[in-house]
Amino acid sequence: MGETAKIPVEKSHRKTARGVGRSAPPWPTVAAFLLPAFMLYTIFMIWPLIQAVYFSMYEFKGLSREGFIGLGNFKELFTRYPLNEQLPRAFMHNIAFFIGTMLIQNTFGLLFALLLHGIRKGKRFFQSVYTTPYLISALIVGYLWNLMLNPLFGPINNILKAIGLEALAHPWLGDPATALPTIILVNGWQMLGFPLLLFSAGLAGISDEVREAARIDGASRWQLFTRIELPLLTPVIGVITVLTFIRDFNAFGIVWALGGVGGEPAGSTDVLGLVFYRTAFQGGIDAFGLASALAVLMFIFIFGISTLALGIFRRLEDRLT
Amino acid sequence: MRIKHNSTLLKLALMLVLLAGLAACSGQVVQPTEGEPAASQEEATPAQEGAAVEAPAEDVTLTVWSWRPEDEDAYNEIFDVYEAANPGVTIEFVAYVNTDYNNILATGLTGKGGPDVPQVRSYGGIQPLVEAGQLLPLDGEIDLANFPAAALKSTSGLSDGKVYAVPTGVQAFTAYYNADIFDELGLEEPQTWDEFIAVLDVLKAADYIPISTPAKDVWMLPLVQEAVGATRYGGPAFEADILSGAKDFNDPDYVASIQLVKDLQPYFPDDVNGVSYVDSKTLFLSGMAGIYLGGSFEVGFWRNEGPDMNLGAFPVPPAPDALVDTPLVPGWYDGSFGVNALSEHPEEAKEFVAWMATPEYGQLFTEKIKMMSAIPGMKPTDPLLQEFSDLFAEYPAAYMHLVDFRYGDPWGSNLMADGIAAMLLGNMTAEEVAASVQTGISQWFTPAQ
Repeated sequence: MGETAKIPVEKSHRKTARGVGRSAPPWPTVAAFLLPAFMLYTIFMIWPLIQAVYFSMYEFKGLSREGFIGLGNFKELFTRYPLNEQLPRAFMHNIAFFIGTMLIQNTFGLLFALLLHGIRKGKRFFQSVYTTPYLISALIVGYLWNLMLNPLFGPINNILKAIGLEALAHPWLGDPATALPTIILVNGWQMLGFPLLLFSAGLAGISDEVREAARIDGASRWQLFTRIELPLLTPVIGVITVLTFIRDFNAFGIVWALGGVGGEPAGSTDVLGLVFYRTAFQGGIDAFGLASALAVLMFIFIFGISTLALGIFRRLEDRLT
Repeated sequence: MRIKHNSTLLKLALMLVLLAGLAACSGQVVQPTEGEPAASQEEATPAQEGAAVEAPAEDVTLTVWSWRPEDEDAYNEIFDVYEAANPGVTIEFVAYVNTDYNNILATGLTGKGGPDVPQVRSYGGIQPLVEAGQLLPLDGEIDLANFPAAALKSTSGLSDGKVYAVPTGVQAFTAYYNADIFDELGLEEPQTWDEFIAVLDVLKAADYIPISTPAKDVWMLPLVQEAVGATRYGGPAFEADILSGAKDFNDPDYVASIQLVKDLQPYFPDDVNGVSYVDSKTLFLSGMAGIYLGGSFEVGFWRNEGPDMNLGAFPVPPAPDALVDTPLVPGWYDGSFGVNALSEHPEEAKEFVAWMATPEYGQLFTEKIKMMSAIPGMKPTDPLLQEFSDLFAEYPAAYMHLVDFRYGDPWGSNLMADGIAAMLLGNMTAEEVAASVQTGISQWFTPAQ
């Protein structure tokens, strides 16, 4: 009896997950609701996108469009010195930037979310505190850290010196070996609030009954985390991964504020966003087409990887249900 | 559970974020043709129309566009002088943000509502406007006799050699020193390289930073190389050889001039690659550094931020084995005014820029704008600026990478800047820096012969 009762319950559960469709309104109504947003979206998003693709295939002299050159601009990106060296280097930095940020923000974001989930008093307060840097413009965060890390006047080195750790005082942003890791740390610190909020919401969404059931079955806190909470957070991890990926491959503000427009020192903090900026605004007379080509490449790459990642996470989620 | 549902939402959110990202990127490039100019044109047109409606028919309003909002009052004072002497002409000064100016101007010049007299960039910066036929050629139309050839080069079309704008300012770059520190240590302006090094050693021994210079904001580095090394590579003679193709940047004398910057590194601030432009100025301003390699464009900054500072300037003496035995002070012409080819008042506009080519304007410019005038012999009121002006008049040289190598991509100055920064870090040798410059520039630069 028990056996047979179990199966239908699961089945009906799966059905409700798909949702029960209500009859859809007639299409003119749907269209009327969608049209305003669609128009705005087309004018401000789709149209510039198409234009960028279009411009990327033309030669430019200043703002005046010359002849069609097909993939000429794309070829230039990979053959013109020093672009041909800066582009792959910046790409690798973006990868490091993404992986480093993920490690820092997610480790600490999840840790704090777990700690905060357990407390009753002050939860909101701490959530707000940890989230504040995330709400501040990257440029301001960059500027503040720039002041703090200043090798001559900055408090960080002064404190290290004052407490006798002079050997650790270092021109953090001036040494190519430490500049990128420093910027990644600052970025991870700033972005911490983002996974924290999402993980908190995810943890709150896990029913207490599930936890209780696990505990009754004798699960330790660690088992509860690894067997119950973490798997159920998979969709949240997916969202964070994809959004962080997009954000970090479009990174500009924080790197610009800390490493300057050239990704100083000596290009050790250069990222694609900065290469794009330099190409577009400090480039030669053909900058317009070249920059469009780079923008198109960045879009294709980010869109492609993001779609791929979404597919993978969807499969992982399917396995959970 | 909510999972399925999430992934559709997620996908939508992803599309939005991505497109927003790309639109932000491409939007900046695309915008000027669509959005920005409309705004700027609207700002400019009412002034013209207003004047046309209210004033008698023969009255003319000339619109001047500039990238110097900070100079608006000064320019208006200067233009008042012209208006007083030319009844019926009103000069309307409209300033835009420096960083957006090129795009605003490029579109402003394509249709109605643009300026009659735009301020235009020099050297490579003016070429797109010339190529597009947006400026009227001025030779034969106005008297340009007051300008040296180097000044007219800054506003000439590369392809036809015609002059398209009246140069207004000039910048020079050399060594500032803190006279109080020099007095305290009994130092004098060095006349030879050995004296220069001796001064640096005394400063260092007294725990001052001998030379404050940044290497984090790399754009200063090619200027530093010019200031200390132009004599070593031969200054204007080498420039001529480069332009004619007789020599290239791998020339050993040029390599040696780059090496000089590395040789001076012990006298720079510690960890110089972490020192920003602002830091380097602060070090000098706060009396921690004896010498600052800087430009005439910074005189105003010292006067505002350190009004009590006792400052002097000296040219860096010729380096050992220098090919030129007098000092050289690198400089470049900076800013000019042209006439819009679509101006409705071309004759009045030409008359106005002709006035900008007179010593009367030159003197007003240097007094009010507090920069050196492109017309030689003008007298700035600030003695420090006067000193720069005298030094540039006596030892003129060109900041070669700005003057000659910003006509294509990559810029010579950017290659030098990145190269010298890497050299100071120990990642590149002087030979490699020179080779990088040569490789980069030869992609677009063909010597004249």
